Amino acid sequence: MSLDSASTNEDTLTLESKLSEILRIPLWLQSLATRDGISERTQFGMDLCLEEVLSNIIQHGYARTPHRRILVRYGKPQEGTFTLIVEDEAPPFNPLLFPDSAIPHPPGQLSHGGRGIHLLKQFADTLNYEQTPTGNRLTISFVRPESIPQD
Amino acid sequence: MQMSVEELAGGVTKVVLEGRLDIAGAQEIDLKMNVIAGSKKAVLVDMQKVSFMGSMGLRALVAPAQAIKGRGGKMVLFAPTEMVEKVLKASAIDAIIPIHHEFQSALAVLQ
Repeated sequence: MSLDSASTNEDTLTLESKLSEILRIPLWLQSLATRDGISERTQFGMDLCLEEVLSNIIQHGYARTPHRRILVRYGKPQEGTFTLIVEDEAPPFNPLLFPDSAIPHPPGQLSHGGRGIHLLKQFADTLNYEQTPTGNRLTISFVRPESIPQD
Repeated sequence: MQMSVEELAGGVTKVVLEGRLDIAGAQEIDLKMNVIAGSKKAVLVDMQKVSFMGSMGLRALVAPAQAIKGRGGKMVLFAPTEMVEKVLKASAIDAIIPIHHEFQSALAVLQ
């Protein structure tokens, strides 16, 4: 999907490539959480994953180039899963292939980017990466806690 | 992100953080934490009212902690919330900065 043709609705956020745009995420998630009954724990995970992905896109994918766009879409809950889709028009980068750097490196020597991707992997339930004709698409899914079978 | 500082008995400096330790929050406390890191040797960071933490927030704590340690001092984190603690432990930050949920045990580490 071209970012230019993205429809604007409450489940879609189009961000400019400025770190300050990430400040729009918490309130947006809060409105979705209230509407769809997303738990605080899941909301925290969604907030964290988006902060890490978006900051990496802005700082590295777009190399802080202004006036570029990032699309964040929220997929309505299906089969007990909440989904966020982040699309950009940056050079190809699959965060799932980025080395997991939290262990065994000494924590004090972690790069910021590596730490962020590690947190993404820790807090998302599933991650799916696709290279698109114009950039990257990352799908981040979270399972509703009540959907997890209890033994 | 709000930050207040209080000097406790025994030479302990208590830093109280309130709000989101996201990219913006980290920037807001960076300078003040660096000042503390350069001048104090026993620092307790009260995390009870920190509602969110991302990787930039981690850096805002790790850098001062390492600076304090390099000067022969110590820093501890007091009572982070469940999800904030999950972020700290997922990043193995608790190996650098101990986490305590009891105030007296946190103070004991610093004295």
